[in-house]
Amino acid sequence: MKRRRAIVIAAAFLIGGILRATAADYWFAEGTNAMLAGQYAVAARAFADSAARQPAAGTFVNLGIAEWRRGHAGAAILAWERAQWINPFDARAAENLRFARQFTQTDPPQLTWFETASTWLPGNAWVWIAGAGLWLAAGAAVLPGIFRRRKTGWHQALATLGLCIFLFSITASFGVITRTQLGVVIKKGAELRLTPTRNSEMVATVAAGSAARKLKARGDYYYIRTADGAGWIERDQFSLICPE
Amino acid sequence: MNLLRFKLILFSSLVAGIALRGRMPAAEISGVEAAFDPPVVALEGKSFYRVTVAAPAASIQWPERFHTPIVLKLEGNTRGEILGNVNGQMMTQTTFLFETLALMTGNLTIPPFVIGVDGQRVVVPAATLTVVEDHSITNPPPRRILLEIPKTNFYAGESFVARLLLPVGPANQIDALREVQFNGDGFIAGKTALRMSVETVERAGRKVAAYLQEMLLTPMVVGDLKLSAQGFTAGREFTGAITITGGANGPVILGGGPVRYVLLTSEPVPIKVRPLPEEGRRPGFTGGIGRFTCDPPQLSTNRVHAGEPLLLKVTVHGEKAAVKLTPPPPPQLKDWEIIPEHQSGIGFTLIPLTDEPRATPAIPFSCFDPETGEYVDLTIPPVPVTIISEGVPTALPQAGNDSGAAALKLTGLAPRPGITVSSLKPLQLRPWFVSLQMLPVIGLMGLWQWGRRRRFLEAHPEIVRRRQAIRALRREQVKLRKTAAAGDAAAFVRHAAAAMRIACAPHFPAHPRALVCADVLAVLAGQESAGETARRIFSADDARFAATPEACAGLLALRNDVDAVLQKLEEQL
Repeated sequence: MKRRRAIVIAAAFLIGGILRATAADYWFAEGTNAMLAGQYAVAARAFADSAARQPAAGTFVNLGIAEWRRGHAGAAILAWERAQWINPFDARAAENLRFARQFTQTDPPQLTWFETASTWLPGNAWVWIAGAGLWLAAGAAVLPGIFRRRKTGWHQALATLGLCIFLFSITASFGVITRTQLGVVIKKGAELRLTPTRNSEMVATVAAGSAARKLKARGDYYYIRTADGAGWIERDQFSLICPE
Repeated sequence: MNLLRFKLILFSSLVAGIALRGRMPAAEISGVEAAFDPPVVALEGKSFYRVTVAAPAASIQWPERFHTPIVLKLEGNTRGEILGNVNGQMMTQTTFLFETLALMTGNLTIPPFVIGVDGQRVVVPAATLTVVEDHSITNPPPRRILLEIPKTNFYAGESFVARLLLPVGPANQIDALREVQFNGDGFIAGKTALRMSVETVERAGRKVAAYLQEMLLTPMVVGDLKLSAQGFTAGREFTGAITITGGANGPVILGGGPVRYVLLTSEPVPIKVRPLPEEGRRPGFTGGIGRFTCDPPQLSTNRVHAGEPLLLKVTVHGEKAAVKLTPPPPPQLKDWEIIPEHQSGIGFTLIPLTDEPRATPAIPFSCFDPETGEYVDLTIPPVPVTIISEGVPTALPQAGNDSGAAALKLTGLAPRPGITVSSLKPLQLRPWFVSLQMLPVIGLMGLWQWGRRRRFLEAHPEIVRRRQAIRALRREQVKLRKTAAAGDAAAFVRHAAAAMRIACAPHFPAHPRALVCADVLAVLAGQESAGETARRIFSADDARFAATPEACAGLLALRNDVDAVLQKLEEQL
């Protein structure tokens, strides 16, 4: 009985996943067709639907192209940043980001050394590597004793290697976490304010596509730091690369 | 008796007038007139007491009370002011009008009394009303304005057209009306007349010409109200275009002679005003009451760039052309900025903020139909529109003279979704992944526990032997039950003997096959019946190897005894 229930649950998960992937593929194809027909708004909505069902690097690349064609530079840069978040090796996303930043005269996000290291691999890869390194070190240290094997040099070398891998990847993994606070200004001429209120004094105006780091949130506002300064921005004018 | 009362009243009036004059010396100015209209009425007939002062109303201090005969009842106090040409001079004239009811025959005189005009005391001359008993007097009734309204039940805010009729005067002359006012609380009247004309109306069974003026009125207060109108006769001083239709009995004179501004009033008309029902109120209701229909909305263009305005106009047709509808408030939408147009009719300036909309937004609008007593939906429907995106470059010119540097441009579409993730949120921030890290911990701890247990069992082999014996005993018992059920006595004996050996082996310790009946009996020492059962089983088992094997079919009956022996042996493990 328990086995049957487990099978049903597993099958439901499997079917749900397949259906989700199928729907994402359907909207991806719809978006591609709309792009070819020049219906960029329809295409953007289709790609956004596809990405909502199953985030994919290619989908975000195409979503960025559709948004760019619609004149939404901020939304386009955000989509390409997300494509790179999923796959740092995506050449299309990288090229489009270079092009867009050149056109909008905006700078890429300023990263710390461990954040830069975290961009070398997909964000989720680092945490798997860190886990594998940790348990490799632990296994190499503990298992010979359990299995009554004499500890040899290579056991110790393996444990040291695992520990090194763990320490490096955990740093990069921390960089991934801090990069979740990075975002993009998506509205043209968005205003940074001194306080999180509509009537407060304006500090600066930031261009759409400008990268910024979220420092805190209050009500409908984020406190962000950009290359132009820090201030409060309305939530609908700024979007995190990794949505909360 | 009546004559005596009349004389008394006349005397008292004269005395009061003389006394008043003697006490308050006042100026007599030619611009003050007082008269009854008509001057002769039948008993209990109605007349108007009219006082005209050639001065603005604001400069006149009208007394709170003035002396009147007891038998003359004065009702109402209507006053009106008009600026006009009086005796060749432009001047303001104010008229005070009272409706009178004579309760006694004779000459009823309102004696002179003093009013204030610009701080001066001015005497209003005496006026006499002759009341006769004869009902056959031929004097025409006093001239009045006739107020006609389409119905007497209205909803608050429901506009209607009131018709003011002024039939021809005694000399068949048509007079226009000026300075028309409506008296009654809770009404809003239009500032100008909707229509002015001279028409034929039926009055007292005969057709007469009448001046007609239509005005728009809106009741604003709920309840039982009274509405009356007042206005000055103004000869041919028409304030707008006038149409003349129909015919009348006898010649009709349009104006002629000097204008005489006479203040007239109408009979009050009772009106019942109800509140609008709250139930069924639809969105976009702006107070429009009446029967309205909307034409399909018209767009200035149906192809526009994002951020460019387009004009939406809607023509509304109403049963009453004079009643104007307030446009509905523009809805607040993410994709549109909507600005109402106030120039004419119902119109909106629509500005698409994005290129996503495929049609203009529906604008909720409704009105109330007083005939059915229900709200009617007049929502302005969406109109298909094409919004063009802002143009953006897809390539940048090559920088500088560096021929080696490739020009930046937008790439083509990705043919496939590519690498997918279940969520953009990093794994380390997902609770399930943190939980997953417990699996290796649990695995390592399990391995450590396993090694510890293994060492313990190596130090205590008897535990291992007992466990092995118990497991082997279970297997043999299963076989024993099967053979007993099958009626296979030889197999039954064989498995019973094997089971007893297995159960006794850990006690020596030795391999089960190495044990004989004596070893089993040694374990069962002191248990006679069990020992007997074991002896019989082993005896039958040994007989298998004899030259002439014994039939052991009867031993199947020992099944319960064998089970009891095996249970006792298992308990000793």
